[in-house]
Amino acid sequence: MTRNKLIVAIFVVALGALGITRFVLQESVEAQGDTVRAPRFEVDPFWPKPLPNHWILGSAIGVWVDDRDHVWMIHRSSDSLADQERGIELEHAECCEGAPPVLEFDAEGNLVGSWGGPGEGYEWPQSNHGIFVDHLGNVWIGGNGGGDSHILKFTRTGEFLAQYGMAGAHRSPGDAGADDYIPTFEGDSNDTQNFGRVAKVTVDPTDNEAYVADGYLNKRVAVLDADTGEMKRFWGAYGNTPDDTNLGPYDPDGPPAQQFRNPVHCADVSADGLVYVCDRANDRIQVFQKDGTFVKEGFIAKTTLASGSVWDLAFSRDPEQRYLFVLDGMNNRVRIVLRDTLEELTSFGDGGRQPGQFYGVHSIAIDSAGNLYTTETWEGKRIQKFVNMGMADVPRGSQGTLWPTNSTQ
Amino acid sequence: MRVRLAAMFVVALVIAASVPAVAHDIPNAIIVQAFLKPEGDRLRFLVRVPLQAMSDIDVPQRELGYLDLARVDTALRDAATIWIAREVALYEEDRRLPVPDVVAVRVSLPSDRSFQAYETALAHIEGSPLSEETDLYWEQGVMDAWLEYPIASDQSRLAIDPGLRPLAQRVTIALQLLMPDGRVRVFELHDDPGRVLLDPRWGQAAARFVGSGFTHILDGLDHLLFLLCLVIPVRRVRTLVGVVTAFTVAHSVTLIASAYGLAPGALWFPALVETLIAMSIVYMALENIVGAHLMRRWAITFAFGLVHGFGFSFALRESLQFAGSHLLTSLLAFNVGVELGQLVVLAVIVPALHVLFRFVVAERMGTIILSAVIAHTAWHWMTERGGQLLQFPAPTIDAAWLVNFLGWAMAGVALTAAIWLARMLIRAKTEQKYGKRVVKPDVI
Repeated sequence: MTRNKLIVAIFVVALGALGITRFVLQESVEAQGDTVRAPRFEVDPFWPKPLPNHWILGSAIGVWVDDRDHVWMIHRSSDSLADQERGIELEHAECCEGAPPVLEFDAEGNLVGSWGGPGEGYEWPQSNHGIFVDHLGNVWIGGNGGGDSHILKFTRTGEFLAQYGMAGAHRSPGDAGADDYIPTFEGDSNDTQNFGRVAKVTVDPTDNEAYVADGYLNKRVAVLDADTGEMKRFWGAYGNTPDDTNLGPYDPDGPPAQQFRNPVHCADVSADGLVYVCDRANDRIQVFQKDGTFVKEGFIAKTTLASGSVWDLAFSRDPEQRYLFVLDGMNNRVRIVLRDTLEELTSFGDGGRQPGQFYGVHSIAIDSAGNLYTTETWEGKRIQKFVNMGMADVPRGSQGTLWPTNSTQ
Repeated sequence: MRVRLAAMFVVALVIAASVPAVAHDIPNAIIVQAFLKPEGDRLRFLVRVPLQAMSDIDVPQRELGYLDLARVDTALRDAATIWIAREVALYEEDRRLPVPDVVAVRVSLPSDRSFQAYETALAHIEGSPLSEETDLYWEQGVMDAWLEYPIASDQSRLAIDPGLRPLAQRVTIALQLLMPDGRVRVFELHDDPGRVLLDPRWGQAAARFVGSGFTHILDGLDHLLFLLCLVIPVRRVRTLVGVVTAFTVAHSVTLIASAYGLAPGALWFPALVETLIAMSIVYMALENIVGAHLMRRWAITFAFGLVHGFGFSFALRESLQFAGSHLLTSLLAFNVGVELGQLVVLAVIVPALHVLFRFVVAERMGTIILSAVIAHTAWHWMTERGGQLLQFPAPTIDAAWLVNFLGWAMAGVALTAAIWLARMLIRAKTEQKYGKRVVKPDVI
């Protein structure tokens, strides 16, 4: 009986000790104020399912989720693959070959569509960039190759619908026939017919207008009639008339640049009709009304140099779109930002090759359940899914590589 | 007259030529959204289907394949009649309802969100149609139809046999039933689910889930191997009853807890449970080989039963929508089905083991061989499932993680204490009844 009493005492003491420790830790976590209320995510390492036909992804530079929750991505396929990665194409190994540039996955991660590449009646970009599926189900594609100064529109099965702008429109004068001719290009951010290396197109269904992040050569946001491609208006940073003058390298301590730097990398319209522009190398988001009137700006990781910190963004799926998910491909993380104040609450992700880590994370999109999808450029070459686990108290600042803690939070 | 006929013929030819026949493949997968609302003597059925799935219908088009919205109405009504009204079978009690009236039909944009709720869907169908100038590629549009069936009473119990399987390789139907008392019942049906009772009586729900539990245990090889491991050394009815009861009680606890949302919803959790199930088989098999302590076997079985209950809950998750308002009844019925399945399996295994050990191989040797084979299989499962589990990144151990971990540790200690207490009570009762000698550990 004494032994039993001892065991009971051990159970009681163990429970008490655990309970007290937990209580103290809980108090300490709350007292430090090192948590914030924000959406919590978990990486899904099994999404998508393996591609068929020994297909492999190249630098992945665009992602979007359509109205059926199908996930679309665009990548640079063989153009960005090393010889060792495309043994089938070079006929020296059993693996692999570049997948078609445009891939469509269903919500479960099955590949359900694939197309893209040069074809009759249009000029496929030298370096495709960005993908968007509009409210009519049409697929828009930009391009940031040397001579890419146009936008393409297809049906979702890849039937060509329209091309706005012509390729090579901004080539500098020179003798194209000369042996030593190397084409060079100059931006013209006031051209109403062509574009300058378009990073991303989004379509606002309310007014049926396309917002063009234009781009890697131009320094503007351009707005088109989404049916005809006719340019209706355009603007530069702070709503200024765009100017293509070279601003030189970004200086975090200098005054904010009065023009966008290249690339202008996104132009997304919120539900309440504001246009959020990714001024990537200036490390800032600028917010405008639809007519180009400047509203406000917010800096993100302002000391980031080189490729900048504001690559792409997505709006949360609550009716107020309370959060922005801002993608930072230089620091390799997804930043969760309050939309009304542009204040960063927390971030997740880190550099690396494991699930939940990034290398050159480039584009982000969100589905109807609030799950996030990211694609990685350079040698990242992949698409990842982050499952929305609802609101939770998460660490303020960086959460690092995501790991599910406890969904009952 | 002849001139008139010739003119009509020419007009017909021109119209036919301008309406390209739509020869297209059956889509890989579609989602159909639908609402059912009984009101008085009418049953309203609102349904949204991708136009892409409307095979053999001549959808009028203009340049580049855009829908000719000025001329699309007849094609839509035909499509709604052929593919929806005639194919969807609705039942009031057990009576099939007649082919419904097509009240209204229209084309919508793929981005339209009105089918998120019944009221907005109805208002949308009643509202103004798309502008005829809209450049909507025909395959990317969706068709909304409003059908109405005559019914005897809005209090009747309804059933549906969707019959939409021919529309695509995979069909998912998101259906909401809006009941007269304001309750809303949500269903996600796949492909061809047969006749689905939308508001089952408790007996109907119970019968369905007994069957589901029965077939689940018979289909689940890992659960069966666990059961086999349990009974190889334990074939005396009294001991068997104790062990199987412990397993049943334990998996019922976690199954019911999961159904009420108390299980962790983390992505790694199913992978962890599947790995632990494989581990449980390996453990039991190894214990059989080295010599099972039968007195403590029920306690270990109870612990592993908790894990298997989570496994059952994953299988049950999708079908709980068919429980109607009888969730607990259905869960208990599922458990009853599992038990019946186990009894059938035991009724086969136990005599077979008796025969095997009596006529083919000595009991000890047979136990070792059988258990080794099972351990081998389960070991492979364990490494495969463990491999999947390990693909999830390693945790960041911080204060918040520790708080959660300590919560689970407390639950673990409480559970261990409960098992220990139960063992003490059983031992005391046994000693009272038979005296101290019989409670010596029974090792084979």
